[in-house]
Amino acid sequence: MNLAVGAREIVVERRPLPPLWVRAAAPTFSVFFGLVIGAVIIWAAGQDPVLAYTEMVKKGFLGRLPLIGTLVIATPLILTGLAALVAFRMKIWNIGAEGQLIMGAVASAGMGLWIGDGVGGPVGIVIMLAAGAAAGALWAALAALPRAYFNTDEVISTLMLNFVALNIMNYLIFSSISYWRDAERVTFPSGRGISEILFLPRLSGRLHIGLFIAVAAAAVLWWALRYTRWGFEVQVTGDSPRAARYAGMGVDRKILSVLMVSGALAGLAGGIEVGGVLHSLDPRALSLGVGFAGIVVAALARLSPFGVVPVAVFVASITNAGPGLQSIGVSSEVVLMLEGILFLCIVAGEWFLRNTIRVQPAAGSPAARPA
Amino acid sequence: MNESVILLSIVSAVGIGTPILLAGLGEMYTEHSGVMNLGIEGMMLGGGVVGFWVSTQHTSLPLALAVGAAVGALFALVHAFLAVTLRVNQIVSGLALVITGTGFAAFIGSLNDSALTYERPLSSFEPVFGEGMRDLPLVGPLVFGHDWVVYLSWVLVAASAFWLFRTRWGLSLRAVGEDPAAADTVGISVTATRYIYTMVGGAGAGLGGTYLIAGIFSNYQHGITAGLGWIAFALVIFAGWRPWRALAAAYIFGVLRNLGFSLQIIGVDIPADFLNALPFVLTIAALILISARSSAARKYSAPSALAVPYSRESR
Repeated sequence: MNLAVGAREIVVERRPLPPLWVRAAAPTFSVFFGLVIGAVIIWAAGQDPVLAYTEMVKKGFLGRLPLIGTLVIATPLILTGLAALVAFRMKIWNIGAEGQLIMGAVASAGMGLWIGDGVGGPVGIVIMLAAGAAAGALWAALAALPRAYFNTDEVISTLMLNFVALNIMNYLIFSSISYWRDAERVTFPSGRGISEILFLPRLSGRLHIGLFIAVAAAAVLWWALRYTRWGFEVQVTGDSPRAARYAGMGVDRKILSVLMVSGALAGLAGGIEVGGVLHSLDPRALSLGVGFAGIVVAALARLSPFGVVPVAVFVASITNAGPGLQSIGVSSEVVLMLEGILFLCIVAGEWFLRNTIRVQPAAGSPAARPA
Repeated sequence: MNESVILLSIVSAVGIGTPILLAGLGEMYTEHSGVMNLGIEGMMLGGGVVGFWVSTQHTSLPLALAVGAAVGALFALVHAFLAVTLRVNQIVSGLALVITGTGFAAFIGSLNDSALTYERPLSSFEPVFGEGMRDLPLVGPLVFGHDWVVYLSWVLVAASAFWLFRTRWGLSLRAVGEDPAAADTVGISVTATRYIYTMVGGAGAGLGGTYLIAGIFSNYQHGITAGLGWIAFALVIFAGWRPWRALAAAYIFGVLRNLGFSLQIIGVDIPADFLNALPFVLTIAALILISARSSAARKYSAPSALAVPYSRESR
């Protein structure tokens, strides 16, 4: 891409591996740039951006309660980020984490209700979470099977299945007296609570062990992608499906397995939300958001499993700051807009990692070098 | 009695189908140029909230629609810059746009203790034809009962079908979406084409969003689009990237959205949630059918270069 300016031209070139300082500086600059854009919009709307930002740091990070709130919000985001990541590694675009999370929550809540007080402690919790992961994997398989055998575009089918799952959940709580619904609460439909012995153990305040499960999942995924045959084949298939086919890697089965692992991670996120935070199937808290954000989180983490953790915590801190802003007269909704702007800016900033800009004498001028 | 309920649900389907159609037509242009913009829901909300605000300040509804479309196009410009110039992943960029647009609308709507949610548009969309024509049996409510935006959408469908498949410009557009390298070789600017039609898509979403909020609901609430932007995205696929099919599909999807309520009146109890999920199930089914059968696939499948960034160097 060349842009002539007088006798000189601006040349944009791709580059292989940027120096470390660029790798660190690009996202930092992007975040700064995004905050400036956000500040302009907040200021134009007649509110105080500096006050808003200081308060956001306070409410998102500083102190025990803000930090716990941030980590609780980050937990499902880490898992949906990992779900997106594992599929993206193979250039399979699973944008159905949202629906897989919902079906995971439905299955976990259902399993939890069914177990009741029957199986106490760790075993019950493991069964409950496993049900969530299995449901997420099966929901992903609905898109994975047509992709593997008819080459049906998985972007669209996984996306569409989100809304099918959402409507199933709404039906179970809002439109029917289902197994999941608390039959006694008629005017304010809500889910039946699972037994207290199935609540995920808490570490401090609202912080539950789900965070450890999510971080452990990141570690396991990192190991599996790096050191197992499966991980190697995922990488090769992503880089060149044809090469993988010639090497006899069974691409169809790989598509199926990767999408189901991805769905299981998202389903696990749903199970953890039910077991750790909601304690029932609650459509108001499980509506669209975490799955889509997870995709952007995976991209911002440059598809590194351990990178997902800090990025998810960063995004969660912004979300967590929202309600606290109301007290200082800034709309709490500003945080969602700010997240979107930051996402767009950081994604754009990634471009500077892959390209370098150079000014040189224009082609045709005497000093021009041969291309 | 039963017939009138069914008729009523079809007429109201035209209402709710129109914003879906406008947004879907826009996205159809975008996708024909080889750019996939998942951000429709965000652009509908972002454009719609500003368009609605204009309608509460000014009596001119065309002005409100134009402003809504312009804001939608501005949102799309961000996606075009990221997807076409920077060649980032279009899924990531589109989803970031959904979050930005939704957040922007929620922020604007929450200012001054949600003042906007108490506002009403200064004027409303009136039916075009006189009472005499609207009272005609059957064709009255079906054909003559609508406001001008509905007729505008019909004109846009016809114009789009002509533009896309019968003009030089439409051919250039489709060439860019099918084979950008070939289009580039014959002197069509891939970059300009993709920028323009991505913004056309944003304008369609903004137009649909404004009509939905200022026209159909006459009132703004948070998250008022309630997934209609995603239905518009599904519409493009379900319609096989063809305008006339999009018109039919928009009304089918519109009927499904209202059918639960109408059926309840005549004593048939199908949960609205199942009907709400149907457009998405139908789209998946259509998609699987198209991909499983190769002859149909060639005609009604996605543009070959959809969501694939183009760069001359790596040609």
